[in-house]
Amino acid sequence: MISSLGTLSLGLSLFFSISQFLFVRKTNKLKFISISVNGLLIISLTSFFLLMYAHITSDFSLINVFQNSHTTKPLIYKISGVWGNHEGSMLLWILVLTIFNYFIYKLYNTKNSTFILKTLEIQSFITTGFILFTILTSNPFKKMISTVENGLGFNPILQDPALAIHPPLLYIGYVGFSAAFSMSVATLSLSKNINTDWHNYMKPFVMAAWTFLSIGIALGSLWAYYELGWGGWWFWDPVENASFMPWLLGTALLHSLIVVEKRKSLQGWVLLLAILTFLLSVLGTFLVRSGILTSVHTFALDPSRGIYILGFMALLGCYSLILFGSKSKLYFNNSYFSFFSKEGAILVNNIFMIITCFTVLLGTIYPLLIEAITNNKISVGEPYYNSTVIPIIIPAIFVMGMGPMLSWRKEKNSELIKKILPGIFMTITLSIFFLSIYKTYNLIGILGIILAFWIISNNLVIFYRKKINYSLGMIIAHIGVGLLILGITGSSVWQKEKISKVRVGDEIKINNYNIVFNKISEVRGSNYLALKGSFSVYNKNKKLITTLSPENRFYPITESFTSEASIHTNIIRDLYIVLGQGNKNDGWTIRVYYNPLVVWIWIGAFIIFLGGIVSTKVNLKRIKI
Amino acid sequence: MRNYLFKIPFIFFAIILLIFFYLLIIERNPSEIPSALLNKKIQKFESHSLLYDKKFVSDEEFADEVILVNFFATWCKPCRDEHVFIKKFSNVDGLKVIGINYKDNSKKAIKWLKKLGNPYSNIAIDAKGKIAIDWGVYGIPETFIINSEGIIKYRHVGPITKKTYKRISLLIEEIK
Repeated sequence: MISSLGTLSLGLSLFFSISQFLFVRKTNKLKFISISVNGLLIISLTSFFLLMYAHITSDFSLINVFQNSHTTKPLIYKISGVWGNHEGSMLLWILVLTIFNYFIYKLYNTKNSTFILKTLEIQSFITTGFILFTILTSNPFKKMISTVENGLGFNPILQDPALAIHPPLLYIGYVGFSAAFSMSVATLSLSKNINTDWHNYMKPFVMAAWTFLSIGIALGSLWAYYELGWGGWWFWDPVENASFMPWLLGTALLHSLIVVEKRKSLQGWVLLLAILTFLLSVLGTFLVRSGILTSVHTFALDPSRGIYILGFMALLGCYSLILFGSKSKLYFNNSYFSFFSKEGAILVNNIFMIITCFTVLLGTIYPLLIEAITNNKISVGEPYYNSTVIPIIIPAIFVMGMGPMLSWRKEKNSELIKKILPGIFMTITLSIFFLSIYKTYNLIGILGIILAFWIISNNLVIFYRKKINYSLGMIIAHIGVGLLILGITGSSVWQKEKISKVRVGDEIKINNYNIVFNKISEVRGSNYLALKGSFSVYNKNKKLITTLSPENRFYPITESFTSEASIHTNIIRDLYIVLGQGNKNDGWTIRVYYNPLVVWIWIGAFIIFLGGIVSTKVNLKRIKI
Repeated sequence: MRNYLFKIPFIFFAIILLIFFYLLIIERNPSEIPSALLNKKIQKFESHSLLYDKKFVSDEEFADEVILVNFFATWCKPCRDEHVFIKKFSNVDGLKVIGINYKDNSKKAIKWLKKLGNPYSNIAIDAKGKIAIDWGVYGIPETFIINSEGIIKYRHVGPITKKTYKRISLLIEEIK
């Protein structure tokens, strides 16, 4: 029943998206366009909630539910299980696409009709591609041949609140860039025949996509931090890179759009960035879904999926980039920027972002290249990224701290000094104060702290003056980045790790803390069994600070083990304990991490998100229907 | 600006595309991780036989012959797809095909084999997936080739396709 309803709704959504594609080519068919857009939205919602219903009611007549669910699974994870697998996540992807499609349609008025209709045409082409992909290779409504009593269960490490909302946020980001792509292609193909300010339409979409992509990545990282139990929060996994690359280009795109708006230059550049950002989002999907690389994120292997996505990406990429090659000349002008100007700073940072993006891309596909040529397996890991990305990002952050202070066009030298003096003074004060607490001789560490305070100080100065160049969203987001850098520096430069084998009653010392192993006991959760350790943490004055209880869980249904780290957080540091293997007689292996300033990563990311939301709202108002 | 500069993004994109297409086309298996078990002796195990009413003892089954071990289940669609190739292997002289029925319902498995034909000379039941863990199986289907000394010579993750079938056949000839 649900299988045929679901497949029918997928078929209908294909119908509506094709009809949208056909009708938007004729301006006099507005009624039909409206029916297609609304129909597409409603039917995508229907198919998405149908699958959700099947998951909630544990309807094992669907292969998808059988393979990813179990009756004993808590309700919230039955819901998040809908997008916790390849087929269901494609349904979510389509839903987000159609929601953006609907918003673009809502912008339609008599003045911008040509531009919006062209955008909707491209958008429906993309939607059609993904719906076809889902129907042909990944239909979540496929029926089971036989009946079963229960499902295979859901990967326990995915049963987590942060991870439940991580994919939807990420998809809003990825898919949001599709709007920028469509608008860019629409602009290029209509050439100068439109008098619409295309960049004003593109900006809120890019802003929203970037904001959600940022928080999505941060949540994924937070999850990796407390769930994987490796003490870190970023591992340069290919799939992390796949989300980081569009983020980098998205950042460049976002800032270049401001230059287009204020100075009408960089137009061609923005059009290219919009195309590339979305292509990288699709590339990310391809890398994850094709199984071309192995990663913690890889979904089930199915070669036909890889071929399809790659083929579709080739279609989108070739069309848009050839179009760009032939039409973009119109959008380039030979304006030269002064280095000491806002647009100069943005352009410089654009270049840094692009270089970082390609460095990451190279690191991600290099193992594949080597394998294709020499048949050897190699892996590119942290050392590569640390030694390539950090040197590029440091000057970028320096410029980023200064950019908002500068005026458009050209800054007088005397003015410039007057402007940045308070910021410099504040940075020095804060850094000295900070480094007197965290004494260190690590160059990168010192540099990171200074840069973090450089950004924070400058933005506080702008906020205090409330003069020109004042954009609240920007200030909030930039301060967020400052805090983020503080957290990243602290946790990567001053992290301490201790691995030891302990018996009940033993003590471990880490950075002025004394940790006592009290006991270990067996506990029973809703769908797992666990060994739970209990550790008392004392500070140097022998005062009890907290009790930490890391767990080793066993999920009988999927026959898998997970380790739950136990973390004590404050604004200065995290104490992080992971329980490893062991037994009563020999003792248990435990890993203890002292992670300074980690919490500022999450606070910073959240503030960036808030700043993004504020800016999105401001930009939406500008094009208010 | 020169005209060709505008074509750079496209050229760059095309190169990346070609690389990926190439990688997809050459029957490269990303999961063909040089298994830690490669060239090592197989893990011994005991379990129940799906076909006969007796125990399945690995020591008895794996002896003096080249053996193909195939992990499968009825709920796994790619297993059904590769079934034709497993059947072809069962006709190869001097090769014994052994199945390991992974986390499956035995009744359904028997029905499934009756319908599609049974290429396996014996099948071990791996109800809880313990054998799969010992063998380092990533996901089913997965296929191993073991030489007459009980040493793992090859491992394939994912369904066997036309191309891999040819490759594995050659390998079996070599081992024999």
